[in-house]
Order: sequence, then structure tokens, then C-alpha cells
Amino acid sequence: MNCEEATKLMDGYLDGELDPMTSQKIEQHLRDCRKCEQAYEAHTALTHAISRGAPYYKAPAELRQRVQSSLRDAVGVRASRSAARENHASLTSRWAKRRPVLPEIPWNWLALAAAIILAAIVASSFLPRLRPPTSDQFLATQLIASHVRSLMADHLTDVASSDQHTVKPWLDTKLDFAPPVVDLSSEGFPLIGGRLDYLDNRPVAALVYGRRKHFINLFVWPAASDEAKAPKTITREGYQLLHWADSDFNYWAVSDVNVNDIQLFKQQFETRTPRH
Amino acid sequence: MALPLKAAHASETEDFESSRNIVKFTVFKGSDQNHAQKAELASFEEALLPHLDAAHNLARWLLRNEQDAQDVVQEAYLRAFKSFSGFHGSNGRAWLLTIVRNTSYTLLKKNRAADLTTTFDEEIHAPGHESVSPATILENSENAELIREAMDELPVQFREILVLRHLEGLSYKEIADIAQIPPGTVMSRLSRARTELKEYLAARISKDK
Repeated sequence: MNCEEATKLMDGYLDGELDPMTSQKIEQHLRDCRKCEQAYEAHTALTHAISRGAPYYKAPAELRQRVQSSLRDAVGVRASRSAARENHASLTSRWAKRRPVLPEIPWNWLALAAAIILAAIVASSFLPRLRPPTSDQFLATQLIASHVRSLMADHLTDVASSDQHTVKPWLDTKLDFAPPVVDLSSEGFPLIGGRLDYLDNRPVAALVYGRRKHFINLFVWPAASDEAKAPKTITREGYQLLHWADSDFNYWAVSDVNVNDIQLFKQQFETRTPRH
Repeated sequence: MALPLKAAHASETEDFESSRNIVKFTVFKGSDQNHAQKAELASFEEALLPHLDAAHNLARWLLRNEQDAQDVVQEAYLRAFKSFSGFHGSNGRAWLLTIVRNTSYTLLKKNRAADLTTTFDEEIHAPGHESVSPATILENSENAELIREAMDELPVQFREILVLRHLEGLSYKEIADIAQIPPGTVMSRLSRARTELKEYLAARISKDK
């Protein structure tokens, strides 16, 4: 690891957010490099300074009362539509009076926009099993980010082996499910290793395959029974994403190989995985 | 003659009974609804009022003004309550803080656009010279006023991420959700925020000397 990489990853190390292998490399570098060690110590000192020195602004007692009484009002409001409108109007006008630059209409539109964004966040993070198909886009973003990160941070595999009998037991011990692992060297997709990843609010298995000079990340996690079974492809930012599911698992293959290669990969993988 | 009369009488009784039932039903329905709303409010308060301090702390740091912070917290709780039926997660604090953050930014955009223009570009800002030693930082770490002033001078995105990380102790994943940035950006932004804070501190410490 060089200084540039160490500087980039130092804060993640400091916050305990790196995987053990990268952490070890950073530790090694900090032992060897006085300049980076100094920078690391400065950032550590800063985190202490903020935790100790920066005030935590607790809510004053009157705010609690204010919040509670406005919630009571809101409940009363729901009983009748017209009352709701009246009350809302009085609330916004109160706001508008104090903050004249907050006109009524944009506020409502902003509230609507915020509600939509929130609904998307809530739906995707808290309702993975009730996921509507459109939130695939959100998952796709996560998948691409995971794929790119795995190539960027020098953290492609936790267990590097072309032997499925090494990779599979390793993953089985780390996860609460046993993903299928097959080597596809003879089909032109050599198994490179396995990795733990975190997607869709759960730990998932990432199997890494090679295709000429490219890599394919295959993310696997247990399928919910009501999940759509039809395979689908998404192309985004030059990456191919291919999703399919069998009775046990969800599969997402992510790569920068062309669409034919990734389809071929899926076929080979399915042919070689024992059917249920 | 007697039979039809009896029949008519019977049907009258039935109508009377059924209309009474309807009245009763409506009354019950009304009070059930009321009851359900109260129950919903109770479970909302139980889930989210414990995070009032966190909500206030974040709003106060983002807005740097007590009155605005309180307005935003009140508004955020109302918004949260309106969408509470859609919330099924376990992380109520992160969910509430997302709403507080959005509400704060809405207010900043409306009233204090200038606060938002002092943003940063992670590419353009190259790390400057590091003139303050870890020892000096530690010596000054108990000086709350100094730390607060230095943090208040940072652009809002930096203040936000430092507060979420150091005062709330949130994970990168939670911060990414709340600040609506990719998880990969959390680390680099924290790094920039700390470097920037270090420079502000260095400037203040050397000025005081």
C-alpha cells in the first residue's frame, strides 16, 4: 500500500469501517511511514476533540411539549377533512408569519417531494420483501457500487481460491445460508474466489468469476418466496446486471463484460448448479 | 286480516331495529377510529420521541440557530407522523434524522441559500499544509468553545457528517442513508471534513497565540 491509498482509506480505518484485510495493510503502512502515521494521529486526536469538545444540543423541555401538542393537534385534525385543512392552513400561516420567505404552496410541494423520497428510502431499506419491481433500480445502484468497490479497494475476495470446495465451506461458515458455488473454468469463467458483502440490508455471498481480463461478481442471497422469477437484465453506466432466481436463491450477476457473455455465464452457472 | 297486519308490524320492528343498529355502528366506528389514531400516536411517540435530542442536536448544528432548529424539529415530527404508517423499520433514529435533515435543508434553501453555497468540491479541495500537531489538538480538545466555533465555520455538509459520526456515533451505512450520498462517499467526505476542521483549528490556535 502506498501513501496515496493509505490517506484515502485512513479515516475508514480510524472509524473501524474497513474489512480486516485492508485494515491490516493500513496498519502495516502506518508502522512503516512516519508521515502517514502523523496524519493518522492528527485525525485520531480530532475525533477525540470533537467527541469531548463539541456540544451536544439536547432538546429543551419546552420543545418536547411543543412537539407533543402539535402531534395531538394533528390527530384531532384527521377526524375531519375541513378541520384538517383549516389546521394545516393555520400551521403554514404561522410558519409563513414567522418566516415570510416560506410561502405556502412550495412548502406543500416540497412536503410531497420529501414524502416521495422518504417512501422510496423506507420501502427500499425496510421492506425488502415487499419490494416493487421499480426499486430494482435502487438495488442496481447498490450492486454496481459493490462491484466497483470490490475492484477498486483491492478487496475482490476474502477467500481467494479456484476450488469450489474451499470457497463454499468458507462462505457457509460466515453466512446463515449455504450458497451454491461451482467452478466454471472449463466454460471460460474461472472461479477466482468468494467474498462477504452487504446488500439489500443483509449479508450476502459474492462469488467472483473471471472472463478474459474482466471480472464478474455474482451476488447470492436467499430468495423470498413471493419474489418474481423471471430473469431480467439492466444495463447501467456500462455495466451489465443480470438477475434471476430459483426456488432457493436470488442471483445478481454484475460485470462490465458484454451482454452475451453474461447471459452465457448465467446459462453455464444454472446448468452446473444442482436443480431443486 | 290478522296475518298481513302482523306481518307489517313485524317488518316495521325490523326496520326500526336495523336503523338503530346502523346508528350504533356509526358511533362505534367513530370511536374506533379515534381510538386507532390515539394508538398510532402512542406507538409513534414511543418509537420516535426518544430521539428528540438527536433530532434537535442535528437541526441545531445544521441551522446554527435555536429558533430555527426548534421549528424544524416540530415540522419534522409532524412529517414523520404523517408517513409513520409506511415505516416498518427498526432504525427509528436514522429514519427521523433523515426527515430532520431534509426539513433543515428545505429551510436553508428558502432562507439562507448563502449557507448552502459554501459547499465544497471533493476534487478541487486538495489537502492543505498540516501545521497543527496531534499533541496541540489534544491540548485544545477540552476547549469546547474553540471546537464549537471551528465546527460552525465548516460548510454544512462537513458539519453534518461530523455530527452524525461523532455526536451520534452512526455507521457509514446509516450516514449514507441520512445524508443521501453513496456509501463510498462517506469515508472521503469524513476525511475532508476532518482535514478542513484541522485547518480551522490550526488557524484559530495560531491566532490566539
